[in-house]
Amino acid sequence: MSDSTEPSHLDRATPAPAGARVATRRSVLLLDRAMSLIIRLGGIGIIVAVLGIFVFILWQILPLFRGAAVELASSGRAPPGARLMLVDEWSERPGFLGADGTLTFIDLVGDAPAESIDLAGRVGAQITAAHLRPTTGTIALGLEDGSFALADVNYRAEFDDGRRRVVPEVNVGAPIDLGGGRGRVLDVDYGDSGRDKVAAAIVEVEGKLEVRAVVLTQRRTLVGAGRIEVRGAFDATPLVGGTPKAVLASSKGDSFLVVTDEGEIDYFFAVDSGFELRQRFSPFEDQPDPRISMAEFIFGDVSLALVGVDGTNRVFSLFVPEGQSVRTWGRTKQFPPLPGPVSAYTKSTRTKAFLVVAGSLASLRFSTTESIRWQEELPFAPRLVAISGKNDRILFVDESSRLHVYALSDPHPEASWRAFFGRIWYEGADRPGFEWQSTGGTDDFEPKLSMVPLLIGTLKGTFYALLFAVPIAVSAAMYASQFAHWKVRAFVKPLMEVMASLPSVVLGFLAALWLAPIIETRVPSVLLMLLLIPSAGVVLGLLWSAAPVAVRNRAGLFGELTVLLCGLLVAGALGWIGGPLLERLVFTVPDPAEPGRRIADFRLWWPAFTGADFQQRNSLVVGFMMGFAVIPIIFTIAEDALSNVPQSLRSGSLALGASRWQTAVRIVLPTASAGIFSALMIGLGRAVGETMIVLMATGNTPIMDFNIFSGMRTLSANIAVELPEAPHHGTLYRALFLGAMLLFLMTFAVNTVAEVLRQHLRERFRTI
Amino acid sequence: MPSRELDRGAVTGAPHAAGTVAVRPDADPAPSSILAERASRFVSADDRSDSVIAAILANRPTATVVHAEVAEDVPHIVKIRGFSLHYGEKQALHDVSLDVPVGKVVALIGPSGCGKSTLIRCVNRLNDLIDSVRTSGVLTIGETSVLGPETDVIGLRKRVGMVFQKSNPFPKSIFENVVYGLRIAGEGRRSVLREVCERSLREAALWDEVKDRLDESALQLSGGQQQRLCIARAVATRPEVLLMDEPCSALDPVATAKVEELIGQLRGVYTVMIVTHNMQQAARVSDYTAFMYLGRLVEYGPTEAIFQNPRCRDTRDYVTGRFG
Ligand SMILES: Nc1ncnc2c1ncn2[C@@H]1O[C@H](COP(=O)(O)OP(=O)(O)O)[C@@H](O)[C@H]1O
Ligand SMILES: [Mg+2]
Repeated sequence: MSDSTEPSHLDRATPAPAGARVATRRSVLLLDRAMSLIIRLGGIGIIVAVLGIFVFILWQILPLFRGAAVELASSGRAPPGARLMLVDEWSERPGFLGADGTLTFIDLVGDAPAESIDLAGRVGAQITAAHLRPTTGTIALGLEDGSFALADVNYRAEFDDGRRRVVPEVNVGAPIDLGGGRGRVLDVDYGDSGRDKVAAAIVEVEGKLEVRAVVLTQRRTLVGAGRIEVRGAFDATPLVGGTPKAVLASSKGDSFLVVTDEGEIDYFFAVDSGFELRQRFSPFEDQPDPRISMAEFIFGDVSLALVGVDGTNRVFSLFVPEGQSVRTWGRTKQFPPLPGPVSAYTKSTRTKAFLVVAGSLASLRFSTTESIRWQEELPFAPRLVAISGKNDRILFVDESSRLHVYALSDPHPEASWRAFFGRIWYEGADRPGFEWQSTGGTDDFEPKLSMVPLLIGTLKGTFYALLFAVPIAVSAAMYASQFAHWKVRAFVKPLMEVMASLPSVVLGFLAALWLAPIIETRVPSVLLMLLLIPSAGVVLGLLWSAAPVAVRNRAGLFGELTVLLCGLLVAGALGWIGGPLLERLVFTVPDPAEPGRRIADFRLWWPAFTGADFQQRNSLVVGFMMGFAVIPIIFTIAEDALSNVPQSLRSGSLALGASRWQTAVRIVLPTASAGIFSALMIGLGRAVGETMIVLMATGNTPIMDFNIFSGMRTLSANIAVELPEAPHHGTLYRALFLGAMLLFLMTFAVNTVAEVLRQHLRERFRTI
Repeated sequence: MPSRELDRGAVTGAPHAAGTVAVRPDADPAPSSILAERASRFVSADDRSDSVIAAILANRPTATVVHAEVAEDVPHIVKIRGFSLHYGEKQALHDVSLDVPVGKVVALIGPSGCGKSTLIRCVNRLNDLIDSVRTSGVLTIGETSVLGPETDVIGLRKRVGMVFQKSNPFPKSIFENVVYGLRIAGEGRRSVLREVCERSLREAALWDEVKDRLDESALQLSGGQQQRLCIARAVATRPEVLLMDEPCSALDPVATAKVEELIGQLRGVYTVMIVTHNMQQAARVSDYTAFMYLGRLVEYGPTEAIFQNPRCRDTRDYVTGRFG
C-alpha cells in the first residue's frame, strides 16, 4: 500500500511490496477459516454426541449398581410389650399386638388417637401365639384352648379434602379347632393359596408337645366368602423327629414345615390322606452347633431364610433335584454370617429381600443375588422389625418400646454385577445358571436378569449369519471383481444394492412365515444342498480345468458362467429332491406307536440323537435371513476392496503365467485383505445390531446353547421385546439400558479391534 | 478373449515374407483433421509420397520398410504377420508385420499412442484383460500360435516374461516376489527356490543390494530396485522372450543406467522386446529398432541404420526430433 501523500505516478512505477503481491485475497482467507471452523465443529459435535449417548446410557445404568440407602426418618413410641408389629403400605398406621391380646394402631403422620382392638376378647380366649403374614396382613392367632383364629388386617385409604387417611380394619374369624387334645398353642402358622388352605400349630397337651395340621376349605357363596371349615385334621407328632420349636405353613397351602430344637426341619406335604413327611433336613449339620435360630419364608414361600444359633445365614429353596421327581429343600445360598442368633426378622412383601437383626446389627439381604443391600450397627437393639409394603420404610421397635422409622431407598434390589453376569441359583432351579426372564405371571416371581444368555444369543445369531453370509459374500465379491464378465458385474452390483435396501422387517416376515415352515420339513434337503452345491462348484471347476483349452477358450466367460450355473442348479435340485430320501435312510427314529417300525423325521431325529431341541424358528432360519441382510453389505465393500487392487498387480501376476484363481488368491485377496476385513467387521456390526429379523424369525427364548435348530434372544431383540413392559426408571428399564450399553461396548470393541487389525493389514499389504 | 477375424482388412494368403515391402490396402475412414494438420506441419509437399500421414490422407495403403539385415537368414522367435487390433471400434494396430530374431534386443520406438504397448501386450495376450479387444493376423512364438482359440494362454505367459512401465512388485517379501512364477508353477522345494532366487537377482544385478534382506517387504525397495526386482521376477522362470514396456520411464538417470546395463547383459540369453520413447536408450540397448507411427510399423531395421540412415521420411523426422 502506498502512502496517499505520494504522487500517484510513483505508485505505478514502484512495484507493490512482495508481501502485498503474494497476499491471498481476504475473502479466500475468510472462507478458509470459516470452513475449517465449521468442519472442526462438526467433528467435535460428532464426538460429543457419541460421548453424550454413552454418558446418558451410563447414567441410566449406574443406579443398578448402588446399594440400599437407609436413614433415620423419625422415631416415636410403640405400645409397650408388643409381640408383633405390622405396617401399612404407606407406613402411617403401624399396628402392634400386645401380650394381652390387644391390637393397637398408632398414627405416625396424623394425630389420630391410638386405636385398640381386643382380639382376645373377640375370639373369646387368651392368645398364646401369633404369626403374621405381612403379604396378606393375616395374623394367625394360637389360643389357649388348642384352637386357632385368623385376624385379617386391611388398611383402607380414605381421602377427604385431598388428604389421605389410612384406616385399619380388622376382621376376626371364629376360632377353628386344630383337632386333638386341649392345650396351649405355642406356635401357629397359616398358609392360603386361595384354593388350598393349611394351618399348622404346636400345641402343648399335658406337658407334651404335639404338632397338628388342618386343611381348610372356604365355601364361596353368591354374597361373598363363606365360613372357613375344617376339611381334615392331621396329627404330625409321631412323624416329627425332635422337639418341635416352630411351624411354618406354606402360602401354597399344600405343605408345612416343623423346625425342631435339635436343628432339623421336617417337611410335610399334603397327600390325599393327610400329609406325608417328604423330607427331613438339617440346614446347619456341618456347623459345630446345628441348632436353628430362625427359619422363615422369603416372599413367594419357595425359599427359606435360615439362621443358625451361631449366626450362619443360609437360604434353602424348593426344587426338583436331578434324577428325582418331587420338589425338596436344598441349600442354594450362603450369606455372610451374623454375629449371633436372630432377634428379629421381617421380609419384603414385594421382593426377595429379608431383614434380619442380630443384637443391634440390622442387615437387609437380597436372596436372589446373595447380596447384602444394607447393614448397620444400630444405636439400639431392635426387638421387632417391619418393612412397609412400598419398600420405602423400615420400622424398628427396641427393647424399651421406642419406635424408630428409617427411610429405605432401594429401587433396584434385584440388580447387581452378579445378577447380570454371574451364575445365580434361582428359586426352583436345580443348579446355578444364567437366565433372563424379567417378568412372570405371579407377584412373587423372581426376576432373572442375566445378560449372559442375551450375549450368547447375540453371538449365536451373528455366528450363524456370518457362517452363511461370509463365504457367499466374499466369493461373490471375488467372482464379480476378478472373474466375471463386465456385463455380469454391471448386473450383479445394482442387484446387490437392491438386496441391501430390503427392509429387515420384510426379511424377518419372510423368514418367520415362509422360510421357517419350509425349512422345518426340509432340513435334510437343506443339509444336502449345503453339501452338494459347494462340492458341485469344486467338481465343475476341476472338470472345467481338465477340459481342452480350445473348448474353454471357445466357451468364454459367458459359457463358463452358464455351465457353472446349470451345474449348481442341478446340484441344488438334486439336494432338494434327495433330502427326503436321505431322511428315510439316515434320520429315522423308532415309532413309539408301533414297535419295530421307524419314522423318518428329522425333527424327531435331532432331539433323539443329540438331546438338543428342534424348533421351527431356529438359528438356521435366522442364519439364512440375517445372512441375506448381511451379504450385500459385505459384498459391496469387499467388491470395492478387491476391485481397488491395482490392475498392475493383477497384470504382473497374470504375465508370470498365474491363472485367474492363483492371481485372485495369492495377490488380489491378500492385497485387499484390509478392505475385506472391514467388510466382515461391518457385516458383523450389522448382524450384532440386527433386530427385526431375529425378533420375528426366532422364538426369542433366551437360551444358552449354540444348537443350530433352536432359537435365541439377542440383546437388540430383547430391548425391542421388553421395552413395552419396562416401567420408566424401573429395574427392567435400566437393565435394558445395560443391554444397550453392552451392545454399544461390543460394537465399540469389535470396531476397535477391527481398526487396529485393519491398519496392520493395510501396512503389510500396502501398494505404492 | 478369443481373437476374431476382422470384417475388414482381413489377412488373406500367405504371411508376408520379411524383407519385402508390405503394401496393403487400407480401408480406414476419412482422415481426421488432426492428421491433416500434422501432415501440413511436418510433411512438405514433395515428400508426401514417403509419409504415413500422406498415405492416410490420400487413402493409400501404408507400407513397412524392412531392412534386409533383419530378413537375413537368422532364426526368428516371434513372428508377427499382418496383425491388426481393434479396441472396440477404434483400430489401434494396422497390419503390423514384425519378426524378432532369437537372442536379440528389439526396441519399439514411436510417438506416444502409436500402439507400441498394444503390440507388445499382444505377445503375451495380456490384452485379453481388456474386454473390447479384437485381433486378426498371425502371431507366433516359436511354433506356437499365440492368438488361436487353442492357445493355452497360461502356458504361453510362462514362456514370455514381462516388465511393466511402472514397477509392480507384489506386496510380499523380496524372496516371494522373485520366486512367484515358480510357486504358481507348483515348485515348492526350498533349495530350488533359493537357488533360482539368487540366480535371478544376480541376473538382475540386484543380489548384492538385497541379499541380506530377502524376507523384507519388496515395497521397501527404491524405485530402481523395484524395477530390477520385477526384471528378476520375470527372468526367474527363464522365459524365451522378455517384454519390457518402457521399463525406465519412471526411473532416475542412475537407475536407468543400471537397467540399461542389465539389458545389455541379458542380450544373448533372452530375446528382448523393449518399448521406449527414449531414442538414446533405444540406440544404446537394442540390436534392432522398429519405428511405429499411428498404429503402423513404418520402418524396421538394425538400430544403427534406423538412427543413422533411416529410409523413411517419418522415421527420419522422428529420430532427428522433428516430431514426437
Ligand atoms: N484399453 C484401451 N481401450 C481403448 N483404447 C486404447 C486402450 N489402450 C490403448 N488404447 C489406444 O490405443 C492406442 C495405442 O495405445 P498404446 O499402445 O498404449 O500406445 P503407446 O504405448 O505407443 O503409447 C492409443 O490411441 C490408445 O488411445
Ligand atoms: Mg505405452
